[in-house]
Amino acid sequence: MKPIAYLPVFPGTNCDYDTAKAFRVAGAEVCTSIFRNLTSQDVFSSIDEMRDNIDRCQILVFSGGFSAGDEPDGSGKFIANVINNHVIADAIHALLDRGGLILGICNGFQALVKSGLLPYGRLGLVTEDSPTLFRNDVNRHVSRMVTTKVASVSSPWLSSFHLGEEHTIAISHGEGKFVVSDELAQSLFDHNQVAFQYVDNPNGSSFNIEGIISPDGHILGKMGHSERWEPGLFKNIPGNLCQPIFRNAVDYFSSTPNT
Amino acid sequence: MDYRIYVEKKPRFRVEAESLKRELNESLSLAIEDLRFVNVYDLFGFSAELLEACRYSVFGEIVTDTVTDSYEIGDRKYLAVEFLPGQFDQRASSAVDCVHLIEPDAEIDIRSSRLLVFEGDVSDSDLQTIRHYYINAVESREKDLSVLSNKLDVDVRPLASLSGFTAMEVGEYEDFCKKWGLAMNADDLGEVVTYFLKEGRDPSETELRILDTYWSDHCRHTTFTTELTEITVDESFMKREFEESLQLFHRLRKELGREKKPLCLMELATIGARYLRKIGKLDDLEQSEENNACSIFINVDVDGNTEKWLLQFKNETHNHPTEIEPFGGASTCLGGAIRDPLSGRAYVYQAMRVTGAADITKAVAETLHGKLPQKVISSKAAQGYSSYGNQIGLAATHVREIFHPGYLAKRLEVGAVVGAVRADNVRRESPAAGDVILLLGGRTGRDGIGGATGSSKEHTEESLESCGSEVQKGNAPEERKIQRLFRRPEVTRLIKKSNDFGAGGVSVAIGELADGLDIYLDRVPVKYSGLNATELAISESQERMAVVVESKDAEAFKAYCRRDNIEVTHVADVTDSARMRMYFHGTLIADLSREFIDSAGARHFAKAHILPVMPYTEIKREGCPQLTAIDQQAMIEMFDSTIGRSTVLMPYGGKYQKTPVQVSVQKLPVDGFTNTASIMAYGFDPYLSEWSPYHGAAYSVIEACTKIVCAGAEWGNMRFSYQEYFERMTADSWGKPLSALLGALRMQVELGLPSIGGKDSMSGTFEDINVPPTLIAFGITTVDARDIISPELKRSGSLLYLVRHSPDANQMPDCDQLRQNWAFVSRMIKDGRILSAWALDGSGIEGGLTMMAAGNGMEYRLIEADCELTIPFGSMLVEANSQLDSPNAILIGEVKGCSVDSPRMKD
Repeated sequence: MKPIAYLPVFPGTNCDYDTAKAFRVAGAEVCTSIFRNLTSQDVFSSIDEMRDNIDRCQILVFSGGFSAGDEPDGSGKFIANVINNHVIADAIHALLDRGGLILGICNGFQALVKSGLLPYGRLGLVTEDSPTLFRNDVNRHVSRMVTTKVASVSSPWLSSFHLGEEHTIAISHGEGKFVVSDELAQSLFDHNQVAFQYVDNPNGSSFNIEGIISPDGHILGKMGHSERWEPGLFKNIPGNLCQPIFRNAVDYFSSTPNT
Repeated sequence: MDYRIYVEKKPRFRVEAESLKRELNESLSLAIEDLRFVNVYDLFGFSAELLEACRYSVFGEIVTDTVTDSYEIGDRKYLAVEFLPGQFDQRASSAVDCVHLIEPDAEIDIRSSRLLVFEGDVSDSDLQTIRHYYINAVESREKDLSVLSNKLDVDVRPLASLSGFTAMEVGEYEDFCKKWGLAMNADDLGEVVTYFLKEGRDPSETELRILDTYWSDHCRHTTFTTELTEITVDESFMKREFEESLQLFHRLRKELGREKKPLCLMELATIGARYLRKIGKLDDLEQSEENNACSIFINVDVDGNTEKWLLQFKNETHNHPTEIEPFGGASTCLGGAIRDPLSGRAYVYQAMRVTGAADITKAVAETLHGKLPQKVISSKAAQGYSSYGNQIGLAATHVREIFHPGYLAKRLEVGAVVGAVRADNVRRESPAAGDVILLLGGRTGRDGIGGATGSSKEHTEESLESCGSEVQKGNAPEERKIQRLFRRPEVTRLIKKSNDFGAGGVSVAIGELADGLDIYLDRVPVKYSGLNATELAISESQERMAVVVESKDAEAFKAYCRRDNIEVTHVADVTDSARMRMYFHGTLIADLSREFIDSAGARHFAKAHILPVMPYTEIKREGCPQLTAIDQQAMIEMFDSTIGRSTVLMPYGGKYQKTPVQVSVQKLPVDGFTNTASIMAYGFDPYLSEWSPYHGAAYSVIEACTKIVCAGAEWGNMRFSYQEYFERMTADSWGKPLSALLGALRMQVELGLPSIGGKDSMSGTFEDINVPPTLIAFGITTVDARDIISPELKRSGSLLYLVRHSPDANQMPDCDQLRQNWAFVSRMIKDGRILSAWALDGSGIEGGLTMMAAGNGMEYRLIEADCELTIPFGSMLVEANSQLDSPNAILIGEVKGCSVDSPRMKD
C-alpha cells in the first residue's frame, strides 16, 4: 500500500508543488489542504480539516515557503502557532505514537524547531536555551547550491545513506543559521541527531549543522531543498544532486506495513 | 485594552542592528558606537491574557527576543519610525493573523513600528542626517511615541462639483488641468468638454478622474500613439540606411494595407510582427481580445506524450515608483508582471530582472537634491524584487544590473516573467450581456490612488515629498494564493475573460473587460471605510484580479476562491449598452460611452528628427564603474533560483559556482516529467545605444539570439518582447525611439524574429539628465533540456576559439554571417564538440574568458591570433574538444587545468 504524505499549505507556503511531486515520484500518495483564515470560522474548520488529514496520513510534511511572509519578524511563526494549537498538537503526537514520520524543509524546518518538535520529538518543550534558526550571518537571503555530508543514518529518512556521503543541494533562505549551545550540540551529536552538515557553511550555522532528527529519527528537519532536483536540472553543477529522503520514507512504510 | 510592547533581540542575535549601524556609519560618516534596534507593536483590543498568550508566540521568540512593556531610552538619541497610514504593513498584518490562530474571534488591531536608539557621539545634526537617510517620506514617517492610537481618517471626502465645466473657454483648459492635477493636456480636456456638451451635462469628478486615468501614458501609451507628421534625417554616414529602413517601414505598411493608419511609434513597434504573421512566419501566435501578455502555442512533452500548451511572457517596468520608493516599487514591478500572464491563466514559473543604475559607489553626501542615493535605490530595489519573488515562489534565474550615468535621471527597473498553461485549460470568449464580473484577491485602500497618472507626470525635485500615496507595497502571499487558484483547470475553465488590476484600478481593470458594464463601486471590498466613489474607481491595488464568468458559474467559482482562502465579490455585470456605468449605493455616478473612453483623448502630433550618427570609435565605458556579473553575485544570490523544480542552469555554474550563465532556462511546470524547457535571454548595451539608438536596438536583438545559441538552443523560432525606456519627448528627442525601433525592425525582418509585445516607458528625464536610449530585447524559445550546455570551461586541453562576427560597413550586423556562425555553433554543440560557449558582451574577449574560467577554476593560455573586434555582440567564445573548421572560427588558445584545488588561480 502507498503511504499517504499529507502536505498542509499555509498562507505563504510555496514549495508544496515541488515537495508533492518529490513524494509522488517516490511512490507516496499525496494529500494537501489549504489553511484558510479569512474568518474565524475558516480558522476553526481548517484546524479540523488538518486534524482529520493528520489522523489518516503516515507522513506529515511541512513544505518550504514564507509562512505569513516570515512575519512578525521571525520565520515559521504562523506554522508553529498552528502546530501548537492543542487539536493539532494532539493529532501530531498521535501520529508519532503510531510510528508516523514528519518532515520539514526550510520554512517547515523552522516551524519544527520553533515548535520544539525538533530536536525534542515532542511539543511544549521549548526554553530559552533551545536551538533556533536565525538570520544568516550575511544578513540577506542566500540562494545557491551547497554540499552537505551525511552525519547520521539513525532514521527512516536516512536509511539509504552511508555516513560521510555527500550531496549537492539547493538552499534558498534568509534565516537558515542553526544556533545551538555547545552542550546541546554535543548531546545532538552523541545521540546521532545531527543528520546533515554543510561542507561549505553558507549561513553561519553552529557546527555546520544543516539538518537534524528527533531522538527516535522519525522527524527530520533540514534547510536544503532536496525536492528541487530531478533529472535534467542543475546541469552546470557537478556533484551528487540526488538525495532520496522521500524514497527512503516511502520504503520505510513498504517494509513496515502496520503503521 | 490598548498596549504597547517592545521586542528586542538578545545580544547574540543583533545581526540586523549591527548591520544597520555599519551602514549608517559608513554611508553617513558617523561614529555610532551602539545601535539598539527595537520592534514596537501598538496593540488595540487586547486582553491581558491574550497579550501574555501572544508575547512569546507571536511578537517575540523565547530563544532570541526579549519582549517588554516599556523601554528605557534615557537621554540617548532615538528615532521611531512607522509606515504612513494606508501603506501595507506585512509585519502588523501577519501579527494579526497569528493572533487569530490563538484567539480566532479576537477583535484586534496592530500597528508596527521601529525604534532606533543610538549610543556614542551622535549630535542633533547627526540625528537629522540619519532621519533624512533612514526615513523615506514616500512610505514612512517619524512616529510620535507619546500617542497610542489607531484612529484613521475616516471622513469621506465629498466629491467635488464640476458645474460650469462645459461652459469653460478654450483658454481656461490649461489652467484647469494644472489646478486639478490632471495628467491629460489641454487638447485632451477639450475633447472631454466637447463630449459632455454632447451629453448635455457636466461630468462628475469621478468621470473626469476615470478619463484621466484611462488616457494616461501608463495605460494608453500616449507617447507611442502620437502621430509623427514628418520624419527628417540628418546627414551622416547612416543617412542612406535610415532612409532605406524608413522605406522598408512604408513598404510593409503598404503590403499590409495600413498606409492610412496613423504613423506612430506603436505602428513601428508592431508592424514587424504583423508582417511576419502575414507571410507565415508567426503561426504560433495566440490571438485573442485579451492581450495582457505575449502568448504563443508550443509543444510540451509530458511523460513521453506531446501536449499543446500556451507559453506566455511579459516584461514590465516600474521605473518611477522604484526611483522614489525602491523596495515597494520593485516588488510591485514583479507583482504586476506576474499578474499579466496570470490573468491569461498561465502559471508563472520563470523570471528575469534587468536593471539600470548610475554610480552605486558614490558617497551618499553627493546625492542630488530630491533624489535617493543610487546605492540605496540599487540595494533596496533588489531586496524588494527578491523578497516578493522569493515569497511567491518564482525562480529568478537571470538577474543583471547594468550601469550608465544616465540612469541617474531615473532608475531602470525591469522584470520579465514567463508562464505556461495547457491550451485546453484556457477558454477565451467575449463577454455577453448577463455575464457577471467577480473581483478576487486583495482589498482596496487609498494607497494606490494616482499610480497611473503619477508615473506619467514629470518627475521633479518635489516628487519625493509629494507622491506619498502613489507607491504601494506588495503582498506576495496574497498573490501566491491567486497563482494557486489559477493553476486548477476546473477554475480556469470557468473564466471567459480576465484582467489584472494594474494601474488604474477598477475603472481600467474592469472597464477593459467588456463594452457595456454596470459596476457597483460600493461592493468593492475595502481595507477601511471612508473611501469615496472616485477613490474606489481609480485606486489601484496589488494582488487583485477581475474575471468574467457566466452567471450560472458564479457560485461555483466563488466556492473555489473560498476554498483557496481568497476573498471574492460580485462587483459588476456585463450589459449590451456600450456604456460604462458606475453606481455608488444606488446612485449613478459615472456614465461614459465606450467609444469616447476608447478614443484615448485628443490625437497628439509631433515631428521626428533623426540626428546624425558619429563615426564608430571604440566605446569607452565612462561615467560609472562597471560591475561584472561576478561582482554582482552577492546581490544575485538574494533571488531564489531553484524553486519550482525547474532550474536547468543555476545562475552561476562550475565547481566553484562562479561562471555566470547568460540565459534563464526552466522546464515547463507540468504535473508529470518533461524535458521541454523555455529559454530566455536579453540583449542591450547602454553605451552602444547612446552612440546610436539604431545600432543599439539591432544589437540588442543579436545579443539575445547569440546567448540562446551559446546555451545550446536554436535561435530560429525565437519570439521577442521589447522594453523601451527613453527620455521625456521634446522636439529633438523623437528621433531616438524612432531610430531604435527602425533598427529593431530591420532585424525582425532580416532574421524573421517577430517582436510580439512590449512595454514602453517614456519618462526617463530628471531636470537636465536623461536616461540613455534604451531598447532591451527579451527573446524566448523552447528547447529540450538535454541539449542545454553551460558556459564554464570544462576540460583541460580543450581548444579555445573566437567565432567572430564582422559587422558590415555601417557597423550593422551582417545577418548572413550571423546565421552561418549560429548554425555552425549549434551543430557543434549538438555533436558534442563544443563543450562551453559564451556570447560576447561589453566586457569583450578578456571579460568573457575570465567569466568562463572562474566556474571550475580553470586557466587558459592564449596564442597569438588576429582577434580584433569592433562591436563584440554576435561574436562567440567557444571551448572545443577538437579542431573546428569554419571560416569565422579563429583559434585563440587552449584550456589548462587548474593545478591547485582552489578558486584562487594564481595564489
